[in-house]
Amino acid sequence: MRIRFISSLISVAVAAAAVAALVTLSTSRTQGQTASGTGASARPARIGGKPNFSGIWQANNEAYWDLEAHEARPAAVVQKGIYPYDYTRVAAPPVVALGAAGGVPGSLGVVQDDGRIPYTIDALKIRNENVEHWIDRDPEIKCYLPGIPRAMYMPYPFAITQSTNKIHLAYEISNSARTIHLDKVESPPADTWMGHSVGRWEGDTLVVDVTNFNDKTWFDRAGNFHSDALHVVERFSLLTPDVIQYDATMTDPTVFTRPWRIAMPLYRRMERNIQLIEYQCIEFAEEFLYGNLRRTPIVTHWESDTFSFDVKRKVPPGDKFYEWFRK
Amino acid sequence: MKVPMRRPVTWMAIAVLAFGVLVGIAKVALVVVLGQTTPVTAWGEPDLQGIWTLETDTPLQRPPRFANKELLSDEERAALDKERTALLGRDRRVERGTELDVAGAYNAVFNTVRPTGRRTSLIVDPLNGRLPERTVEALKRDADDRAFRLALLQSTDTCKKKLAGCAGGKYDPAPSPRLKELPAAYNTGRMNRHDNPEDGSLGDRCMAGNLPDLPNAFGGNYIRVVQTAGGISMFYDTGQGQGFQRNVVMNGSPHLPPRIRQWLGDSRGRWEGTTLVIDVTNFNAKFDFLGSRDHRHLVERWTRTGPTTLEYAVTIEDPTVWTRPWTIKMEYTKQNDAQNRIYYEPRCHEGNYAFPSLMHAARLAEKDYAARRGPNPATKDNATDFVGVEENPFNR
Repeated sequence: MRIRFISSLISVAVAAAAVAALVTLSTSRTQGQTASGTGASARPARIGGKPNFSGIWQANNEAYWDLEAHEARPAAVVQKGIYPYDYTRVAAPPVVALGAAGGVPGSLGVVQDDGRIPYTIDALKIRNENVEHWIDRDPEIKCYLPGIPRAMYMPYPFAITQSTNKIHLAYEISNSARTIHLDKVESPPADTWMGHSVGRWEGDTLVVDVTNFNDKTWFDRAGNFHSDALHVVERFSLLTPDVIQYDATMTDPTVFTRPWRIAMPLYRRMERNIQLIEYQCIEFAEEFLYGNLRRTPIVTHWESDTFSFDVKRKVPPGDKFYEWFRK
Repeated sequence: MKVPMRRPVTWMAIAVLAFGVLVGIAKVALVVVLGQTTPVTAWGEPDLQGIWTLETDTPLQRPPRFANKELLSDEERAALDKERTALLGRDRRVERGTELDVAGAYNAVFNTVRPTGRRTSLIVDPLNGRLPERTVEALKRDADDRAFRLALLQSTDTCKKKLAGCAGGKYDPAPSPRLKELPAAYNTGRMNRHDNPEDGSLGDRCMAGNLPDLPNAFGGNYIRVVQTAGGISMFYDTGQGQGFQRNVVMNGSPHLPPRIRQWLGDSRGRWEGTTLVIDVTNFNAKFDFLGSRDHRHLVERWTRTGPTTLEYAVTIEDPTVWTRPWTIKMEYTKQNDAQNRIYYEPRCHEGNYAFPSLMHAARLAEKDYAARRGPNPATKDNATDFVGVEENPFNR
């Protein structure tokens, strides 16, 4: 009797739990972003008692152009106009044919406090040179791994898959990814592009220490850079179920005079069918990187009613040939 | 007012409590159904998480000498290990400046060599452990492609000395007019011509990571799996920095429209009992898996078979290449999470000085030849790199 009673209780319990699970599933299906690439068809609000950041996200600002506050500019590459002032520059030959579509939007900036990145005097010189030599130096143009925090606010979505001991971030840009370790983990054996991310919870805020960087990544398309001493501390907290408040504090005594902080919201991509679509940019960068080494150049001339371009590629002499790829 | 409120609240508390107990029982029931050795996530899905790799080497196809044998005995595995390790210490580039050295032949130290596995082939269907018959059109494409690559080698020492790289070809001191031809399909392999980046192999261009990720001598075959409720993410570390991210869509929606093609295809997953089934289509035509390109269709089955084991079975279908679908099986072993021995950065590209150097050297060789300072570049082999292929005990 007793056994039969227990077994019938269990079967009732299982059936009830199954019904409950179905109810939970169907309720959450009516919410937004039912079709996330990380399969959030039944995404619970919390995972292991912590806010669940899983889903597909994207920044919606101008930080990828320039972290600091800036006016709109006519182009990513500019040259002197007819007046001698900086604010009267015009688009330079590499981008002039793009017209208004090639402009750089203005921004209030995402750097907190006084809005400036506190470079040392020497580092500021390098930053300004980086601006002048943007095409030669920005790792994004070569399709190199973007690093952290840059990957967080590039104009591509990324997916967060949150478990209890690991949180994985997959960025649409060229297979870049990182795992945030919430449990015990050894440091990597060598410097990295994307950093080594170790996270912890402070209440409902995810705090991530990112270390072990190399000195090759940048912060944006405006020449802002760091050394291999960079240490980033990120803070993720949910403002609403569909908005993450993202903060990152950068410390790098060889380049900056003090720590500085950026802050921005990251928005959930709400499209019902959202998923990451590949952006495998290695092949897109090949003409840029290797076009000068073709036996017969193929990107040489372009003609329209109002433009005629001749492109001449150069092979840098001696070791400069390799520096192009090392920068 | 207060008194009537109490009763519903009490009932609700009891209901909530009961629900908690029920869910607890359901979870236990699920674990029992899944089997005691199958870990389950906090939210009740089979747990495939962790770092996984292949700890043994098994050839794709069953070696001819094991014709009817599916499994190797311990003695046979030990004998194969002995044969294979004997090849490890050899330095094929020992003669500096030889064509093999210039072509960048890898020493064994660069390669991943694992102990011989239990099975004689990764292929489990067909039962003979061999690839199914190729279609007539695929055979023709294979032959045409081989003929093109051999033509580019015909005036080199590789053909003159009848080395493995020229197998099926013949020596002709006059360089082939085909050196000016395009290959019939988008090139994915090495050829003895470096006129354009597109002449390079996908591996040389750092774009060779793809599915299915078969065991390869160039390292990797590591996978980091992270799950969340209703979602899964897989990062592959493979091919010495040619790893990739897989974003498996788990919401039951249909595949991407056919006009959207991706290097890694479009992965749609679902749970069938304790097995994660992923259907992959929408591959592009720029990657070549044994002759299969944009018609490739994979059905993967991932099953946690124990605390440290994950079984992977994939059925590969492409009616333009094979006369029937075929299936391979691999067993991944869980690695230490704290040691974190996986290379998250597919940074082959970032350190790829070799590829531009290869093209740069080709331009310099042309200049030298034009100035009568060097040999005709067409008589030099800068393509074939068949280290170990001819003597691999798995091929006998």
